[in-house]
Amino acid sequence: MKIVFINGSPKKKLSVSSYLLGIVRLLVRGKVVSEQVRNAGDHERVLKSIKDADTVVFGMPLYVDGVPSHMLVFMKAMEKFCMDNNISLKVYAVSNGGFIEGCQNRPLMQVLENFCKRCNFQWCGGVGIGGGVMLNVMRIMFLVYTGLFILNTVTSGLTAALPIFAEQLVVVLFFSLGAFFYCLRMGIAVNKGATCGVKFTRILLPSFLFILAADIFFVIISIFQGGIFKGWLSQKE
Amino acid sequence: MRTIIHDLDESYDSLFKSKNENVIRADGKYAPCQGCFGCWTKQPAQCYMKDKLQMVCRMIGKADELVIITDNYYGAYSPSVKNVLDRSIGVSTPFSTYRGKQMHHTLRYGKKKKLAVYAYGSMTEDESKTFRYMVERNAINYGFQEFEFHYLENLNRLEEMEL
Repeated sequence: MKIVFINGSPKKKLSVSSYLLGIVRLLVRGKVVSEQVRNAGDHERVLKSIKDADTVVFGMPLYVDGVPSHMLVFMKAMEKFCMDNNISLKVYAVSNGGFIEGCQNRPLMQVLENFCKRCNFQWCGGVGIGGGVMLNVMRIMFLVYTGLFILNTVTSGLTAALPIFAEQLVVVLFFSLGAFFYCLRMGIAVNKGATCGVKFTRILLPSFLFILAADIFFVIISIFQGGIFKGWLSQKE
Repeated sequence: MRTIIHDLDESYDSLFKSKNENVIRADGKYAPCQGCFGCWTKQPAQCYMKDKLQMVCRMIGKADELVIITDNYYGAYSPSVKNVLDRSIGVSTPFSTYRGKQMHHTLRYGKKKKLAVYAYGSMTEDESKTFRYMVERNAINYGFQEFEFHYLENLNRLEEMEL
């Protein structure tokens, strides 16, 4: 069985979509190929890759309540390619939005389901995740904590470093638990070729705290990038 | 002020421009959004990509009424129209608030009157339902107080409409 993971993020590195696809992939067996669609230049390569595939797993960010424009272009090309070559696929999808509510991904999931109907593919379900940026922050925190753990182990010894690291790890993992659970569950469904329904989850944080954290995040980034000094919130003419 | 975004040919573009000041022809000759948030954090309400959409969020942000005419893609906008919307997140600020009991960004240009979407091309019943839902969500996201969704069976209807 050949499974093609298609990352629809335009970002070259540190994309949340590739991170989430990586989690789904952890439990997927068989011939697995990872592709990324950033622009039309990627189409030929990715279409060639799905020619002999059984399953496609899309991962993409939520843009203005829907599928990013460059992925709509790819989906149209994929529809034509698969109809011309009589290709039948099982399709899964993971999407992530910046807003905390995972259900804000619902229109995107419906578009993908409509796409499958047009192409005579089997829509096997998806996971819509809220608070995508924070998942990335958690991933970076994990790497930072791991680095600190190694440093602490060298300077203070394993017995002193381990409890601190364990506590930090629990906090980082806790916020991402919903996303991890549904992504791993999707991985199991992919192996069985089963449907997993459309599920929505989020960073496990109350929304008012998430909003506060997001606001602080953007203030810090805007100070560093200078936007805060250039009429940050003003109505530009 | 009304702004029209459409993906039709030049004859329709001329028709809309004869009656409206702000018409954006979504011809696809521009780059897709790179998700960098620079239009919030680096150059507010301005994209770093120097093409015809660099300032598009300002034109959309200032519109009381936004009219979108688009081909149907699986119950969503055509890629060229969606690209315009994807590149327009500078209509809002990086700060967040609650709207419609859910998290959204605060509006740089305040609340607006109406979002009207006219979709054409082959459309299934499911796609029609998805599209209406999408427009409803977009209206909340952009801060429009009303929204309309219409399916255009025939583009000739556009000439009869007051657009």
